[in-house]
Amino acid sequence: MLSVLSYGRLVARAVIGGLSQTDSRDYSLVSASFGFGKDFRKGILKKGMCYGDDACFIARHRSADVLGVADGVGGWRDYGVDPSQFSGTLMRTCERLVKEGRFVPSSPVGILTTSYYELLQNKDEIKPRAEMSHRSSTACIVVLDRESHQLHTANLGDSGFLVVRGGEVVHRSDEQQHYFNTPFQLSIAPPEAVGSVLSDSPEAADSSSFDVQLGDIILTATDGLFDNMPDYMILQELKKLKEESLMTSLSCCQSLPSTQTNPRKGCTMLLLSSSSRPPDCSCSPAGRIEGCLSLVSSWEFGNLTCSLFSSALKRL
Amino acid sequence: MFTFCVNSVNSGDSASTDRSHRWIESTEYAQRSTQTQRCTSWTRRGLRFPTQTQPCCSMFPMLTLLSMFYYICLRRRSRSGTRSESLGSRRAVELGQRSALPVTVEVEQYGKEVLDFSSHYGSENSMSYTMWNLAGVPNVYPSSGDFTQTAVFRTYGNWWEKCTSSGPSFRRTPPNFHSQDYLELAFEEPVYPTAVEVLETYHPGAIIRILACSLNPFSQNPPADVRWEVLWTGKPCKSLSPQARQFSPGIRQISFPTNLLRLEINSSLLEYYTELDAVILRGVRERPILALYKIPVIDINELSDSEEEISDAGGLCCRSTVEHRHVLGNGFFDRLPYELIQLILSHLPIPDMCRLAQTCKLFHKHCSDPLQYIQLSLQPYWARLTDTSLCHLQSRCALLQRLNMSWTGNRGALTPAGFCSFMSACGVSLVCLELSCCHFLTEACLEVIAQTCSCLQELNLASCDRLQPQAFNHIAKITSLRRLVLYRTKVEQSAVLSILTFCPELQHLNLGSCVMIEDYDVVVGMLSARCRSLRSLDLWRCRNLSERGLVELVSGCRLLEELDLGWCSTLQSSSGCFQQLARSLPRLRKLFLTANRTVCDSDLEELAAHCNALQHLDILGTRMVGPASLRKLLQSCPQLKLLDVSFCSQIDSRFVQELTSLFPNVSIKKSFTQ
Repeated sequence: MLSVLSYGRLVARAVIGGLSQTDSRDYSLVSASFGFGKDFRKGILKKGMCYGDDACFIARHRSADVLGVADGVGGWRDYGVDPSQFSGTLMRTCERLVKEGRFVPSSPVGILTTSYYELLQNKDEIKPRAEMSHRSSTACIVVLDRESHQLHTANLGDSGFLVVRGGEVVHRSDEQQHYFNTPFQLSIAPPEAVGSVLSDSPEAADSSSFDVQLGDIILTATDGLFDNMPDYMILQELKKLKEESLMTSLSCCQSLPSTQTNPRKGCTMLLLSSSSRPPDCSCSPAGRIEGCLSLVSSWEFGNLTCSLFSSALKRL
Repeated sequence: MFTFCVNSVNSGDSASTDRSHRWIESTEYAQRSTQTQRCTSWTRRGLRFPTQTQPCCSMFPMLTLLSMFYYICLRRRSRSGTRSESLGSRRAVELGQRSALPVTVEVEQYGKEVLDFSSHYGSENSMSYTMWNLAGVPNVYPSSGDFTQTAVFRTYGNWWEKCTSSGPSFRRTPPNFHSQDYLELAFEEPVYPTAVEVLETYHPGAIIRILACSLNPFSQNPPADVRWEVLWTGKPCKSLSPQARQFSPGIRQISFPTNLLRLEINSSLLEYYTELDAVILRGVRERPILALYKIPVIDINELSDSEEEISDAGGLCCRSTVEHRHVLGNGFFDRLPYELIQLILSHLPIPDMCRLAQTCKLFHKHCSDPLQYIQLSLQPYWARLTDTSLCHLQSRCALLQRLNMSWTGNRGALTPAGFCSFMSACGVSLVCLELSCCHFLTEACLEVIAQTCSCLQELNLASCDRLQPQAFNHIAKITSLRRLVLYRTKVEQSAVLSILTFCPELQHLNLGSCVMIEDYDVVVGMLSARCRSLRSLDLWRCRNLSERGLVELVSGCRLLEELDLGWCSTLQSSSGCFQQLARSLPRLRKLFLTANRTVCDSDLEELAAHCNALQHLDILGTRMVGPASLRKLLQSCPQLKLLDVSFCSQIDSRFVQELTSLFPNVSIKKSFTQ
């Protein structure tokens, strides 16, 4: 008697399994983040997700997963732990917006716009990192809509993203620049210089939407990565993701980021941002790299960090 | 057996493994029992299949099908159970074993949604300093400080009450009603509350009442009667320090489950804005058993007006309750002159008057005298005011001049029709009408007000955000208006312009947070042209006022004493508009330039030179003001009482301390984010 019931159960399971679509389950991101600032060699730990002038965030909501990266723009700056920097605050505001659900998944430009105007609502002004520098940054926001399996993106400035499927780049973003070394940027002008500081509206961001499939790798980075590593090198590193096994050696990584891993099946997402001074810049003794790197999934964590780091550092 | 199976599949609400096991056992038993008739050797063999294969063969595929069917149903139900996500806003803490019936399951919930509130500091559609931050988990606690992720009210202290722009207070307020602001917070699940905790992160101590509502705001069918019970009440207290604290007063037990709480605030003794981060409601799902044995002690001092309702009292008043007593009379009380008894009774609050009217004919005559109801404040009784109460009060209010119905009538207690009939009967001589946060108001109500109250001078519609924009057009018909408050309403530019055209006697105008006005320059231009006797103007958070508009305003309205330009970020000091302001308004007593980052030393110097009557000044957030000009201002304005220099980077706390010791009459505010 019991075996009849279990047989029935097996048949039922088979029927259900065959009938239901795997696509009816929501997609999600498997993501983590990491980074290093320009003073990487001095071994200064950065708090939160701010790495030098770059910042990033990962936020989850019921309907969407959102990643964002921002690259502070401006003159040569001092160092120091200053939590109230523009790009960091921008990203944290975006994160808060997403967590509270005050956004539309199909419009990442809306997230940028709302958080930019929210920055102005703070009683305390965001301080620039140094006297002469501006409060401005580029931004790139990527939203994965879980149900419709679409990726909506918004990019303002010279950060950007790549979508890699099967070892090839299927989508990439365009750089937005006014002229050399002056990308489109969101900024808050100091009161004495209103009108003479370049400030683009968030609505000037490039936006796009496209479908994604299981197994896609989406790489979001600031100009430091794209300037220092050509496409084929990036693709090589990403290939290693699929092949190597879990290792936790992090000998070349100074700081341990907050990893958020979700073992559910979904798109694997890589969030990478780094900025660099080009080697021929006169205002720096050597091209320094700073950047933040977010990783795909827990088991690939250690290796990719190391490999990308070593290849990036080699370029100095 | 077949029919039995069908029944068990169709019926039942929650599928659990216990039930399926029981079903399996019972089918086995049932099968056994039917089989005994056919195969007598079955019972001797125990739980084994009978040797007779014939009936089994036919039943085998049917059983398979049935078990498949039942399994699918089970799976679907269990899946829908696990799919329902809770967003982390509540968790159940189970006390006791799972197998036994849970005695007390205490549920802890954070707020789900802020449904209503009287004011807030932030702008609409923002998440900085707005009341919507109170819902959800805390963002700031246990840190202390002035953070954007908290809920902040618009005012603090008694600075706003001291201004002439706020009208005189109403007499006959019951001594235990101190509430200035309120907010209503809904939770996910109705529970019998056992504890309410409020996480306050800055200048705590403002909460003075916590109430619970019997209505579930998320239910589709609202019940007919809505009850509010006071869970806790206290007095406004002076905050000892601005540090964060978790406020958890002991609350009463109530007889109904609730998921809607109301917090009432009085911050008159606080040094700065109070900020709230989150509210936690702890309660049990089942009614606590102890309540059956414990008779709740009703402390008269604790509860506010929880005895008979006004409508009840009003109803009874109409009946004649007097027995004719020839002998006793009322003793010596009868000998007092009429006016003296009126004077004595004028100190009683309204519910007491209604009860007094039931005692004897003399008091009935006195309490029904319309002269007792020249000023009527129904705001303290917002929870119990209904259409019938208004109906019963109608007969006494023929001479009504000042009426306060703020906060009343929400959630269906008052209907527009009831209000309109009350207005038509009693509104002829109305001079002051306070209708702040009255969400029952419609365009028809405003039309009736405009028609009936021809000599109305003060109208307060603050936070009536559900009133349609076209309703405000009727206000232009009230040509004798002197004071108009439209804070946080949806009034449109055309309506404001028509009001300003037809109401030239306006002295106090509040257009704070009116987001539907597109161009404030035009509005202000009309003000300077038409309303030259303007004394106070509140343009809090008007986003597009320009320097040209401001200059036009100050050139036209020379009698301005109070000007609130907080968070008007489009004004640039470099154009000289603030200096022009200082030169044009010698009578200026209150000036708020909150978060205008361009206020500089020369502006303060002009203020020091020309505006010596200044009492309240707010220059929060500017980094261009230095210590020298501030000192000069303090020396030149001897009547200065409030100075807010929070987040001014050149002014540090040491300098603030130095100034406080030099000028002890000035309350200098310096906020912080730790």
